[in-house]
Amino acid sequence: MAWPTKPSATMQVPRRAEPYATAQMKARWTADVLPKYATRLGALMPILHDIQHAYRHIPYQAQLEIAEFLGISPSDVLDTVSFYDEYTIEQRGVVTIGVCHSIACEQCACSSTKLLDCARERLGIGVGETTDDGQFTLIAMDCLGSCDTAPVALFNETLHESLTVEKLESLIVDARHVSPGGQH
Amino acid sequence: MPTSPDFKPTPVLTKRIPEDRAQRKTVWFDQYVATGGYKTLERVLSMQPGEITDQVKAAILRGRGGAGFPAGLKWSFLSPPDGGPRYLAINCDEAEPGTFKDRLLVDFDPHAVLEGIAIAAYACQMQTAYFFIRGEYHHQAKVFQKALEEAYANGIFGKQGLMRGASKFAVEVVLHRSAGAYICGEETALLEAIEGKRGWPRVKPPFPAIKGLFGRPTIINNVETLAAVVPIMEHGVEWWKKMGVESTLPGGMPSYGTKLMGVSGHVNKPNTYELELGIPLRMLVEKHCGGMRNGKKFKGAIAGGVSMGVLGTDQYDAPMDFDIGRKYDVLGLGTACPTIFDEDTDMVAVARNICRFFKAESCGQCTPCREGSGWLLKLITRIERGAGTTQDLDMLLEIAGSMGLTPGTTICGLADGNNWAVRTIVNKFRPEFERRVTPRFVPVYVSAAGR
Repeated sequence: MAWPTKPSATMQVPRRAEPYATAQMKARWTADVLPKYATRLGALMPILHDIQHAYRHIPYQAQLEIAEFLGISPSDVLDTVSFYDEYTIEQRGVVTIGVCHSIACEQCACSSTKLLDCARERLGIGVGETTDDGQFTLIAMDCLGSCDTAPVALFNETLHESLTVEKLESLIVDARHVSPGGQH
Repeated sequence: MPTSPDFKPTPVLTKRIPEDRAQRKTVWFDQYVATGGYKTLERVLSMQPGEITDQVKAAILRGRGGAGFPAGLKWSFLSPPDGGPRYLAINCDEAEPGTFKDRLLVDFDPHAVLEGIAIAAYACQMQTAYFFIRGEYHHQAKVFQKALEEAYANGIFGKQGLMRGASKFAVEVVLHRSAGAYICGEETALLEAIEGKRGWPRVKPPFPAIKGLFGRPTIINNVETLAAVVPIMEHGVEWWKKMGVESTLPGGMPSYGTKLMGVSGHVNKPNTYELELGIPLRMLVEKHCGGMRNGKKFKGAIAGGVSMGVLGTDQYDAPMDFDIGRKYDVLGLGTACPTIFDEDTDMVAVARNICRFFKAESCGQCTPCREGSGWLLKLITRIERGAGTTQDLDMLLEIAGSMGLTPGTTICGLADGNNWAVRTIVNKFRPEFERRVTPRFVPVYVSAAGR
């Protein structure tokens, strides 16, 4: 969150030949997403969710494509992308591990600090980093809304409750074999 | 007054949700209808929309999202329909640390929420409802989406009009997923997020009821508030007012009805309980949550989400109602989801954790909040490390007291949360902080000539 990133005017956007926003996606957005919002900008968040989900990041090229599709300025897209934590410009790992480190998870249970230490050690990366093989991204998250079963962690979209260091270790071992797009 | 003197659980919102976590299952459309669901909607569609608003107003249903603003009064701020679109936004951005009550409703009884949405949309003649759910609630978003599809398939919503055309008034409901920003729980930031922009709270006025989503009149309600509209319309205002407590403050507004209370922390049975407002915190912990974990003593509690501040060791008997703010020196009842701390808890670490949260979640729009939250975290980290001085403590209080809506330096109340959390922890547990800092006094020189 906080401050927008500000690429300079001379920045070169890395490009690949095939577009990120596929014809299929655009057809779906036109049919299902755009009619739900009074302005074209309104459809931006659902569209960004689609791109983030499909590619695990929202590269600059995709932002330009979205801007063109919606008829808005690319800076409007960057403005929104840079604000929300779930949208990332750098590609995330196949499995994003989000350990909750809010009040109940940190202070009232088997501490999230221990879980984060364990994950750091097992994965060999720091919080906010991605492993070299692109399998894991480790992040610390704020309250995941499950304080009664603290401590908790999100593995991609799945919430794991009442964690211990041992449970987290075995979850990480299992997650090593998750393939891109696969469910954990 | 409470229907039972010992505040027995009163399942109103949780009548289809068992207290035992293992027995909880999502109530889908067929089961919801079989247990009396959507009957209330069908009945109220024969009423005039204004009558519904009047009843909700008479029930003094106070907003369950944190501020406690009466929902009926909020609805009555809308001007008469002018033919243009009007919107309902449902706030399910439950990101306040310690809060996990709306999740229960969406997870297990999503149709109760949808029925509330339909009644509110009809009462205020709002054609489109946006269900704004936080990005981290992946599972809940899927459950709600499925329930929504069921409701459409069964003609509750859609072009034909509410309840298979029982009313000509048609309502569309849209699920809008947020993407991980606490500030979007602030009502105008929520509107900005639906419009596809960064979640920066708007300057008010104009208030959303006049100019909200896409520049049109908009009502924003919490999930639990809308779910509570259904039993009020089903059983009547008098029934609702029998639950809960009157205010004992001069000119205070009563706290009627039941409330979902998600208790976490050092208790034996942390869970979401539905109880009448006014239950003393001690009774909530000792009777319903199985007492303090490991038989430890109560040290303090976060009143209802970290932004409300903490209750001190001597405030264990505080009744959980909307008076709590003025009586016990906290910001308010908040979401009524207390986090309980036992005697071994390090309150300096608690304060640091809370400051880290607010620093990360400040949207950066107003300087006192953006900069102040960072400085508070630096100071408190220094104190936790043992490198702080008594002056740091005073500076902590000074910075905290200068940010937020209360001193009038920010657009929204996020900074007030940080302000109240820090001030109440430091003031109520001052000796603990003083033990961690090095005393330092300002030397005073008195010149002989000035005598």
